[in-house]
Amino acid sequence: MTPGLSAATDEIHVVIKDHQFSPSEVRVKANTQIKLILQNDDPTAEEFESFSLNRERVVRPGQSITIYLSPLKPGSYEFFGDFHPDSAKGKVIAE
Amino acid sequence: MLGTFIITWRETIEAALIVGILLTFLEKIGQSKQFRFVYWGAFGGVVGSLAFAGLSDYMSEFFRDIGQDLFEAAILFLATLVLTHMVVWMHHNAREIKGDLQKQAEQAISGNRLWALAVLAFIGVFREGVETVLFLWGLFLQEGAFESVAPPVFGGLLGIGLGVLMTWLFFKGFGHLSLKPFFKVSGIILLFMAAGMLSSGFGKLVAVGLVPPLIEPIWNTSWLLNERSFIGSLASGIFGYRSHPSLIQAVVYLLYFPVAVIWLRRQKHDLAQ
Repeated sequence: MTPGLSAATDEIHVVIKDHQFSPSEVRVKANTQIKLILQNDDPTAEEFESFSLNRERVVRPGQSITIYLSPLKPGSYEFFGDFHPDSAKGKVIAE
Repeated sequence: MLGTFIITWRETIEAALIVGILLTFLEKIGQSKQFRFVYWGAFGGVVGSLAFAGLSDYMSEFFRDIGQDLFEAAILFLATLVLTHMVVWMHHNAREIKGDLQKQAEQAISGNRLWALAVLAFIGVFREGVETVLFLWGLFLQEGAFESVAPPVFGGLLGIGLGVLMTWLFFKGFGHLSLKPFFKVSGIILLFMAAGMLSSGFGKLVAVGLVPPLIEPIWNTSWLLNERSFIGSLASGIFGYRSHPSLIQAVVYLLYFPVAVIWLRRQKHDLAQ
């Protein structure tokens, strides 16, 4: 989506609003290191969690965090907000 | 309501397991009057969680981006050390206590080792508590009428209550084990918990980009045990199970055991002299 800053790292931005990820589908280049910048615009905390990406991080209200993802093989990787798993769902698609 | 119930229930079981092992251990060596150390530690953990979760407004600079994860990693590494220390101490006591159980236990316990009980209870509760408080507090703040917020909050509190009750019942049943098997079983549980905490701590450092994952993932065992399942989420919370671990996480998990065994052996040798 967002062009990478360097050849080695791709940077993507995701916003949490109303307990939903936007965009909820993120496309990235396969086999590239990724910096996922997650901004929480809700007044409540959220926990970004993904089993297939092996990541779990709390982001406090109004703050943003940078999550480093390892280079991915082509495929789809689901993530969700552990505090609002019914509405906060998304996936990273590596291609 | 069901979702919040399950989340707080799971977190509470994880914390109550450590507190339960400590209380049962003290009861077994006839030191029920030392329960207060564990209660103080657990109470401190609750207060600490409330304070830490509430600090976000005042310490937002510190918590910006990686602050929270660094702090959590530090707590996990500290917990690994204290848990291992606890196992060594319990192991030593189990070996010493043979004849006059009461008297020997008092001797063993008169050293200034009791701080470990309080620290461990504190860490056990604090580790899970911060997340639970942030989660429940978030429910309170959620937009909409209070009526719509009440059921999930009630579900969350109910989950805490059931978690405590279940762990209490578990240890009531577990308490019938005699001393030696109890030390063995609880020692093994604590060692696996410690390995899981060490590995989770490294996982946090990888997520903030401070430690290279080396290879990630090195395998995928989600076909065997998925963290979405109930058993999988317990295994993940208590023993640090990950279906897609990085190489660094797997290495520190596996390396922990020989190091802990060496520590156990060395202490045994020192104490025998």
